[in-house]
Amino acid sequence: MKLTKGLLAAGVIATAALGPQMSSAQENEELKLGVIAALSGGGTAWGQGLLRGVELAVDEVNGAGGLTIGGTTYDLTITPFDDQYNAAQAKTAAERLVHEEGIRYLFGPVGSPGALGSIPVTQPEGVIQFVDGYATKILDNEYKDDLFVFRTGLSSSEFSKPVVDWIHEQMPDVKKIGVIAPNDAVGQQAISALIERYESQGFEVWSDFYERGSKEFTPVLLRMVTQGVDLFDLNSNAPGEAALLIKQAREVGFSGQILQAGGAGVREIVDAIGSAADGFLKYDVIDLNDPALSDFVKAYEAKYSGPINGLASQYYSAASILFEAMKRADTLDTIAVRDELENMEGWETPFYGPLNWTGEDFYGVNHQIVIPFYIMKVVDGEGVVEAKIVPDLD
Amino acid sequence: MFSPAVLGQVLINGISLSAIYILVSLGFTLLFGIMRVVNFAHGAMAMLGGYALYYIYGEANLPYLIAMPLAAASVAALALVLERLVYRWFYQKMFQSMIGLLGLDMALVYSAVIIWGPHERSIPSPIDTVYRLGPLFLSGSKLVVIGLAAVTLAAFYLFTHFTKYGLAMRAAAQDVETAEVQGINTDRIYMLAFFIAIFMAAMAGGFFAQNYILSPFMGERQLMMAFIAVILGGMGSIPGVALGGLILGMAESILGTYFGSTTSVFVTFGAVIVLLIVRPWGLLGIPENR
Amino acid sequence: MKTITADNMAASQKQPHKADEGSTRQLRIKLVLGLGLLAIFIILPFLGLSGFTLSLATTILITGIATTSLHMIIRMGHVSLAHGVFMGLGAYAAVLSVVKFGLPFPIAMIFAFLAPAALALVIGPMLLRLSGKYFVLVTFLLGEIIRLVFVNWQSFTGGSNGIFGIPLPYEGLADPVAFYYMTLIAALLCIGFVARMLQSDIGRIIDTIREDSRLAECAGIPVLRMKVTVFVIACGLAGIAGGISGFFIRYIDPTSFSIVQSLNFVVMNIVGGMFQLAGPIVGTLFFVILPEFLRGYVELQRVIFGVCLIVVMAFLPTGIVGLAAYIRHQLSRWFK
Repeated sequence: MKLTKGLLAAGVIATAALGPQMSSAQENEELKLGVIAALSGGGTAWGQGLLRGVELAVDEVNGAGGLTIGGTTYDLTITPFDDQYNAAQAKTAAERLVHEEGIRYLFGPVGSPGALGSIPVTQPEGVIQFVDGYATKILDNEYKDDLFVFRTGLSSSEFSKPVVDWIHEQMPDVKKIGVIAPNDAVGQQAISALIERYESQGFEVWSDFYERGSKEFTPVLLRMVTQGVDLFDLNSNAPGEAALLIKQAREVGFSGQILQAGGAGVREIVDAIGSAADGFLKYDVIDLNDPALSDFVKAYEAKYSGPINGLASQYYSAASILFEAMKRADTLDTIAVRDELENMEGWETPFYGPLNWTGEDFYGVNHQIVIPFYIMKVVDGEGVVEAKIVPDLD
Repeated sequence: MFSPAVLGQVLINGISLSAIYILVSLGFTLLFGIMRVVNFAHGAMAMLGGYALYYIYGEANLPYLIAMPLAAASVAALALVLERLVYRWFYQKMFQSMIGLLGLDMALVYSAVIIWGPHERSIPSPIDTVYRLGPLFLSGSKLVVIGLAAVTLAAFYLFTHFTKYGLAMRAAAQDVETAEVQGINTDRIYMLAFFIAIFMAAMAGGFFAQNYILSPFMGERQLMMAFIAVILGGMGSIPGVALGGLILGMAESILGTYFGSTTSVFVTFGAVIVLLIVRPWGLLGIPENR
Repeated sequence: MKTITADNMAASQKQPHKADEGSTRQLRIKLVLGLGLLAIFIILPFLGLSGFTLSLATTILITGIATTSLHMIIRMGHVSLAHGVFMGLGAYAAVLSVVKFGLPFPIAMIFAFLAPAALALVIGPMLLRLSGKYFVLVTFLLGEIIRLVFVNWQSFTGGSNGIFGIPLPYEGLADPVAFYYMTLIAALLCIGFVARMLQSDIGRIIDTIREDSRLAECAGIPVLRMKVTVFVIACGLAGIAGGISGFFIRYIDPTSFSIVQSLNFVVMNIVGGMFQLAGPIVGTLFFVILPEFLRGYVELQRVIFGVCLIVVMAFLPTGIVGLAAYIRHQLSRWFK
């Protein structure tokens, strides 16, 4: 029991002492940025992509001598926390970053549970937060009159319509769509918007769910095949699951077109199943062959190994947007920076052309980014751009 | 929906799933039967088997029939080190082993995340053609798994029924103290059983990684299914494991195809609960007399 | 064949602190330490610490209710892997009472207790007949099934998206200090109740049941009825923890009450020490504060965590509390 008291005391002292750490041997001041991402458990690949994207953006700024705001030059540092893709952990992480580290700028969390767990902590404090996740409540919530949350990727509410319209236009023979999704927040959110879209274009839709974590999809795919589906939409399945769904669909004799309206990362799917992916069509937010990305890809490959997750480029871009807004506001005050972010439309983003916000009609707040997306086709193990689409949302 | 083509497909899927479940749970039940450890790190061992196969077959390009056992054996050899470092503290301590080995699982899985990253990879299959047999589609990689699993199971059966060490191992599984009195060197039997158990888990992991996908987290579900299969069949019972694995694999395939995966989980788990309440020692286990 | 409990008892009896002599002195020491801890919790908001510390302390208190209630079940020799789900049942019951039915907060908290307790009452008589490992597996499967209900009953539970924007029960609770004190009072009542119960005859009966349920039966103890009673209370208390956490996080979803959460509670109990009430309290403090010491090692955190579990289980079967008792014993021998 003595240990109890000791531990508690040590804990309290540690938490208290670690608060205001001063940067020592640096001439520049330190500016801390927070990252909350799933760095353990099933969402690790996404969380790591987010963290790496922010790290690359920060490296670039620090390498160029730091960020000068209001006459002071800052070196940027990142304080990352793992939320295990869980709402309670994300809340704790957000409390820690906001109240303990005094962080005013936050990237993440990945996924709706973490996002919705952290927003009630960050918003009353006016912390600027770049959230990933498909839930509409991320933007359309009780804080929307004074919201500091921005979504820098498209959610299913944005990309469903243009993808479905494209299919309607390009594939007149397709009558019936099969949709299989994980039975979690991502799946449940994505699928309702998507099915609604398909049906409004006159398609017939068959859909089913599977439990997150399963790898054997032949039973559910057999169900689908017996329904006479022409096009199989993988919607927002994670790359691993999407890859298995393609491979196993072919193994049970599905010969129709396979397409994914959602998710990220053609390369991860090709890496996972090789030639089985040929002919597959995929929504993507990044075209690695795009010359605009070549510097980013080089920097990524110099620092990390493994395929580039779509969230990496997306958050590199988000961080760049934030740094520009800070420079323009010339202060670290988050209200000023937020207003600057809102008014920065037209600024040339690193990969996605001029910055454009939308969402007023749908969410009640203009904090949803509009970025172009691609429909890629896998040809000989490489993603080739089939179409580049800028969603028309205004 | 009930055409012979679909039924045949359902059957093949059921068998290939069962093959993997049985391989994983055989080792699990062996460790439990002999050493009374609940090896919650079994899934992590399967995962390591996957990565071993990735390097030995996928990267070094050794012939498949050599690479497969070599990968499994190298994981089993590494596991013998862990046996000395970790497992020996937990022999005959069922409860502590559960939590302690859960810790080992965590340490192995997250070391794998640091070493290999969390992203998913694939291992090329030795045969990736899909054969057509009338209306049936037969995936080559599934046939390989079914064939090799059958060979392994047969070898395991022959070993435990017709060799001196195998018989000693089974005797120890039934009653360690009596086996010791009979002059069986339990220390050596422990090592042997451990090697065989991990060998099979790593092999199953290799199959799994090849048929499905390789990632640090791939062992979770296998561990769960193995645990259920083992309890379903009766803890410590080797024929029970075969039966339990077969039932689980077939149930997943049949229920999943005809009723969807959510129903499949509800029904399977519900049935196992009911069975355990009525007959806690499992289908082929022996009731405990205390 | 030995069961879980007999096996553990053998281990715990090796520890010197089980000796009878000086047990009143020990009780006094425990009381003093407990009151000291309580005093720290009472004055915490006045120490000028950051809002995060207060939030962390609130989390510790909520988790503490869950782990000490689980402790009662573990003391009977059953390890439940459904405790996180029972906590979730309480959370959903409380939140839905307010959000869907517009009931006042105190009534919502009563439902938070009643919903999981009612389920425990129905299934308890069946499950509690099972010994050790079977109980573990059945509670695990049951937990998965209930989680699937949370996920699939979309119209009522919000499905995987959960319920966001849970209103504060009272305006005044927007102040973190007020919420903290409300949680502190709830935790005091719940943990105090558990402590009182374990100190009474019931506590002794619980220990007897664990050590030898047949013997207990021979002594005229209605073993199953006793077990069900304790199980129902424990699950109800977990529900209260769930209810408070729902209003604290202001968002609930099925992932917050999954098997991972249940396992965390079990691990906290075991690492803290499972034969004394102090165990889950120490375990909770340890695991909520541990990440603070491991900051900067985000990627290594889980590996270190795993190694800690191995070491504790291999060398400290009575947990941290057991270690403290052992050190105290050695010290007192030294100074004699």
